[in-house]
Amino acid sequence: MPPYVIPDQCDGCQGEREPLCELVCPGNLMVIEEPTGKAVCRDVGDCWDCMTCTKYCPRQAIQTRIQYQLAFVPGKLVPVVGPHSVTWTLIDCHGHVERFIMRMLAGDEEEEDL
Amino acid sequence: MARERVYIDADVLIIGGGTAGCLAAWEARQSGGENLKIVILEKAFIRNSGALSAGMNALNMYVNQGKPEDLVAYIRYDVCGAPVREDILLGVAGLVNETVAMMEKEGLPIKKKADGSYLNRGKWNIEINGSLLKPITANMAMKARAKVYNRVYVTDLITVDGMVAGCVGFGVRDGKYYVARGKTVLVCAGGAAGLWRPRGQGDAHHRIWYYPFNTGGSYAMCKRAGAKMVGFDSRFVPVRTKDTYAATGTMSIGMWAPMINAEGEAFMREREEYVKLGGHTAPTPIRVLAYCREMQNNRGPCYMDTTKGDPQRVDGLKAQYLDISPILVLYWGCNDINPSREPVEIDAGNPSIIGAHAAFAGAWTLGTSRMTTVERLFVSGDALGAAPSRFISGSWSCGRLAGRGMAGHIKEKRPELLELDPAVLSDLERNIFAPLERYEKCSFFTSGDPVEGVFPNQMEWRMQHIMEEYCGGRSRWFYVNETNLGIARKLINRMRREQLQYLVAKDMHQLQLAWDVINRLDVCQLVIDHIDHRKETRYPGYVNRSDYPEADDANFDCFVTSLWDAKKDELTFGKEPYEQIIPGDRKAQTI
Repeated sequence: MPPYVIPDQCDGCQGEREPLCELVCPGNLMVIEEPTGKAVCRDVGDCWDCMTCTKYCPRQAIQTRIQYQLAFVPGKLVPVVGPHSVTWTLIDCHGHVERFIMRMLAGDEEEEDL
Repeated sequence: MARERVYIDADVLIIGGGTAGCLAAWEARQSGGENLKIVILEKAFIRNSGALSAGMNALNMYVNQGKPEDLVAYIRYDVCGAPVREDILLGVAGLVNETVAMMEKEGLPIKKKADGSYLNRGKWNIEINGSLLKPITANMAMKARAKVYNRVYVTDLITVDGMVAGCVGFGVRDGKYYVARGKTVLVCAGGAAGLWRPRGQGDAHHRIWYYPFNTGGSYAMCKRAGAKMVGFDSRFVPVRTKDTYAATGTMSIGMWAPMINAEGEAFMREREEYVKLGGHTAPTPIRVLAYCREMQNNRGPCYMDTTKGDPQRVDGLKAQYLDISPILVLYWGCNDINPSREPVEIDAGNPSIIGAHAAFAGAWTLGTSRMTTVERLFVSGDALGAAPSRFISGSWSCGRLAGRGMAGHIKEKRPELLELDPAVLSDLERNIFAPLERYEKCSFFTSGDPVEGVFPNQMEWRMQHIMEEYCGGRSRWFYVNETNLGIARKLINRMRREQLQYLVAKDMHQLQLAWDVINRLDVCQLVIDHIDHRKETRYPGYVNRSDYPEADDANFDCFVTSLWDAKKDELTFGKEPYEQIIPGDRKAQTI
């Protein structure tokens, strides 16, 4: 599920010391392109689909897409990370929506951002 | 061109900030005291790197019942009764519950039953919400005040008088030459993915089960440093969800979903040939073998039949996979698949070379010290051989024991840092950056391709092609014989000996890819020669030798080890005896 960056939403992480997707990518794949100042995955085929960049992006500018050889478009899976949980939204190719809230950290359940 | 150098000295030098490495740092601090200098060299960014990066939804080593001895007996059973290092596994199994409790306190959410006890998945597993498994693991290294260098790719260990003195590498982002010394050195840089041709092509070539950025550096470096190696005659073959290669334990153990063939037959339970080998809970290699046999006999496609699983758990399947392999959830969404209502198709991916899952690859270690046959050189995690099925929780514990071992070695032996020969350092530097230098000297076609060079991905494809065709890849249903192993050896050795002089890298990222392929080729040598040496079939399903289809206990009921001769570039083989500590039938579970 390689990452694709939506140009209008990516601001190159201005203000961060290093763009977050570039900081975290385990495969060293996310880079900021010189002319645009926006992030791009340098080789989508090398991505392992761990989704770390997608979860970290402060502007939700990264959309993870499944390889077309394996599945149809235009389904989407969107994670939104809170302090103690991730809210996942799965939108299938027909627009049907499912939502999942997954715990991330143990701790006082009351404090969770639900 | 003189490159900027970074010199690092440490008491405990850890190569690889993963599952084992982070906990090794933690434990070294606990037993080595406040003044111990602990350094971690990490290829990526420690908080999110490695095989845990996508998360995990279970810990597959936990003593839910019985004693650690029963767990070790199960591990032995699950690899067809093959020799395992029971001494090492007993130490890990004895520490694993305590380690898991510690990680829960550090923030890992573990699912609970109504009575407050951990929610088990089968006998030896527990369920977790592990999407932050790696950050929580990395935090242990931070709490231990380990000095972490991110984006440093270690290429080689340095030995002095038969002892490891340190290592060298390059900064993936800063382009600097790193020289690190350690009084003790721990290699825990993962196993090796991507030796065989992947099933997905093009933009799906990394859609594989095992983490593709673990490229065998652990094994290649230990081998080149002269450590005794073991277990490369086994390969882990993942039978996983088709196309996405996500783990299937969630379905097979978690909801008791059987494998079925195209005729709807739950073949492990219904076909006599598999029932007598263990049925639904047969050893891991046997389940691989059965799946392959069904496919070879044209009874595929095969599935995990979730419709016959525990209905309550099946309903939560998508949520469970979001914690371990979100791509599978998107795949289902984009292919109109509802896994609670229809069986989930499975397929065999290509083998991985690993030591901490149900396979044996790694360095041989002395007793339970975690020290290899090279003095001061320790291994843990996937780099430690002959002690399979430690998984994540066991690798945490194994890392802790390595940390203890290193701190203990420093206390008892009081080793000093060793002097490094400047000429050796210069040679290594030249060798590390050679692909970049070569690229500078190339002329180019109009396409931008170098006339005199080969890019890392081109070499990777060649290597994968050779291994697939001649070393029993998925397209050969994991079968090999002496003839095709001979061809594989000839071609891989030609790449290693004659072709690496053409390897070029146009930037620092490609230099990382170049070293990935160099290391993978070194692991290929270990794999081909170890498989060839074991003239029997001990792990059917993983390695099927058509010329030696049966196990040969008279000759091979032992560990097969190798040492690399640098001058001849050949492996010399030996044997280590198997020591059975837990009595009883090795091909049976105790509980």
